[in-house]
Amino acid sequence: MQKQRFTLGAIVILAIAAIAVLVNLDLKLGLDLRGGSQLTLQVQPTAEIQQITPDDLLAVRRVIENRINGLGVSEAVVQTVGSDGLSVQLPGVNDPEQAERVLGNTARLEFRAQAPGSEEAFDRAFVEQRAIRGALETARAANNAEEIAKYQGQLDENNRLFDTLFSPPELTGQDVQDAYAEPAGGTSWVVVIRFKSDGAEKFANLTKSIAGTGRNLGIFLDSDLLTAPRVDVQYAQLGITGGSTQIEGGFTLETAQDLAIQLKGGALPLPVELVETRTVGATLGRESVQSSLYAGIGGLVLVLIFMVAYYRLPGAIADIALVVYSLLVFAIFALVPVTLTLPGIAGFILSVGMAVDANVLIFERTREELRAGKTLYRSVESGFYRAFSSILDGNLTTLISCVVLFWLGTGLVKGFALTLAIGVGVSMFTSLTLSRTLLLLSLSVPSLRRPELFCPNLPTARSATR
Amino acid sequence: MKLNIVEKSRLWWGLSLGVILVGLLASGICFAQTGAPLRLGLDFTGGTRLQLELDCRPEALATQGDRCDRPIDLGDVEAVLTEQGLANSATQLLDRDPLKQDRQVISIRSKDLQVDQRTELVTALAQRVGAFNPTATQIDTVGPVLGQQILSSGVLAMVLALAGIVVYLSLRFQFDYAVFAIVALLHDVLVTTGAFALLGWLGGVEVDTLFVVALLTIIGFSVNDTVVIYDRVRENLKQSPEASIAETVDAAVNQTLARSINTTVTTLLAVVAIFLFGGATLRYFSLALIIGFVAGSYSSIFVASTLLAWWRSRPSYRPPAPPVVRESSEV
Repeated sequence: MQKQRFTLGAIVILAIAAIAVLVNLDLKLGLDLRGGSQLTLQVQPTAEIQQITPDDLLAVRRVIENRINGLGVSEAVVQTVGSDGLSVQLPGVNDPEQAERVLGNTARLEFRAQAPGSEEAFDRAFVEQRAIRGALETARAANNAEEIAKYQGQLDENNRLFDTLFSPPELTGQDVQDAYAEPAGGTSWVVVIRFKSDGAEKFANLTKSIAGTGRNLGIFLDSDLLTAPRVDVQYAQLGITGGSTQIEGGFTLETAQDLAIQLKGGALPLPVELVETRTVGATLGRESVQSSLYAGIGGLVLVLIFMVAYYRLPGAIADIALVVYSLLVFAIFALVPVTLTLPGIAGFILSVGMAVDANVLIFERTREELRAGKTLYRSVESGFYRAFSSILDGNLTTLISCVVLFWLGTGLVKGFALTLAIGVGVSMFTSLTLSRTLLLLSLSVPSLRRPELFCPNLPTARSATR
Repeated sequence: MKLNIVEKSRLWWGLSLGVILVGLLASGICFAQTGAPLRLGLDFTGGTRLQLELDCRPEALATQGDRCDRPIDLGDVEAVLTEQGLANSATQLLDRDPLKQDRQVISIRSKDLQVDQRTELVTALAQRVGAFNPTATQIDTVGPVLGQQILSSGVLAMVLALAGIVVYLSLRFQFDYAVFAIVALLHDVLVTTGAFALLGWLGGVEVDTLFVVALLTIIGFSVNDTVVIYDRVRENLKQSPEASIAETVDAAVNQTLARSINTTVTTLLAVVAIFLFGGATLRYFSLALIIGFVAGSYSSIFVASTLLAWWRSRPSYRPPAPPVVRESSEV
């Protein structure tokens, strides 16, 4: 009896600790429950780097983090997934459009000097580019997919021509220290760039080499000639010094900001591909939390009622154990912390089923022993003893599935496996210690020591003697 | 009440085979139609799914005119899709409020859309149909490569889980127990996938990652059910080694019957609650679990037990060496 009192005391303290944890720590809700966007990126190997090392992945992650921070989304999280994946979580974002633009683009910025002797070809190509851009604009406004594709093709052709007219890049996005959007009158914006110190030097040299020659400075973004300003002859001596410049390219506030973020965030050491986006609106998330919560609580209440109705006193004790079980499980969720997703909640509800099963096994066994004519105390003891191996086997096989799922599964599946595994572990504990202690303690109360409270319709009523 | 399970073995097996054959037939038809035994969802095929809800919040009503009073015209949606060169996308109208059947939610499933294409599509739709509620949209894009990966890692997970269970049960019981436990759970997996092939064929129901999760859960529960009965068979064999295997198995099934039914009922209570009242996301997940759990308790009671009795009652059967793990059976 002493030992049981001690166990009970320990469990009461655990339950109180669990309540304290739940009051003080919030449960972490997944984006499918609170609303938001999750983007999964896959780093692509290149000809130079065919095997992506953890260091490469971390380097890409740093750049992605910088870009994401530039978006100003609160609580944004960037994590590595597996050997070549990155997961970006943006809580509260209803449309990941801006994030996708910023993440997907490589934003390769290049400053290139026009090659000598290409003046005539350049002028022709430049006039042509303006014309195509205008036509493209019109086609976009009219939403004419066919025309858009046609002009886009012409523009690409045009860009390939420019590529031959400029010498190789000497100054790139790598040399950028800072970049920001600035208004340039009206609705148009420019991107102001400040170079790092050696970048500033390169820029001065580059501008010096073409100042006053009639040749232009080509500013390319992702092989696309954005602008081609001419450098005034006054810079022929020293080049443009001071380490900053601005790019004009018909930007709106948003496109200027996007470019600034991409430049400031640095160039990606490896190309990335956006392989998955999942977005759930905040209201939609809230609705699924509510309905799943109600369903879960409803199911739990039905189970509790069933247990008392069918198993009587032991059923009531199992119900107490189930409530403590739920408290402990959620406290562990808050402590680990486990990010709760919809499948995670499903995993929890299923683990409740497992917890109930352990109790059912024990009580059925107790009844059998009672029917076989054993005393109440011995029946309860042997119910626990004999059901143990079934409970252990059943729970261990479920745990095997959980381990495999957690190991191989993707995000949602992992959440399910984790909550189910925690639930199974805790249920072994509560059904084998708490239910047992409470049952044995209840046997010490004379008014509860009646076999009919354990099993109805016993063949011959037996008084409980020990 | 006492069930004579072993006596009617052939009836139980016939019933199971019948259900499985219907499922396989449906899978065959599904395969002929889509090239896969089940109607594969976005998670596995890749593509973009958009769910857009007409903005009928109080603050938006002024600008929506009478759009919130009538359903969205599917023709409008399809016209926009055709303009955008996405004519072969699947579109569907859903209800904003299921009780009112208002048909004010658009669900579009198309090929993998890039961000520009997608934004253009949503803008064009909003112009034609009305503004959408940004807090109720759902946008999912899965690249085709990733879809393949999800599918293969799901199948791999299943195979490894089965292997793990065989090893564990061989250690705890004997190899033939493990084999029949696996047969029983393959039965449950086949019944569930067959049911979804049927649903896919008749109702266009698609399977997603959650379906794989459901199958794995079913595997766990099915083994659990089978193990409880086998545990009892083993115990009975130890207590009365002289009884015939048929008697032993019958006794074990009957002794555990109340438990099998009660556990299935309590588990189903929770899952049916999710099915009826949970969000739409979990509807087919819970349906798969309901089918799988029912099949699981059937296969444990009627298939796994009778197969074991049949195997051990063959004239040529020689009992193997005692199991590695032994328990004393007396308190």
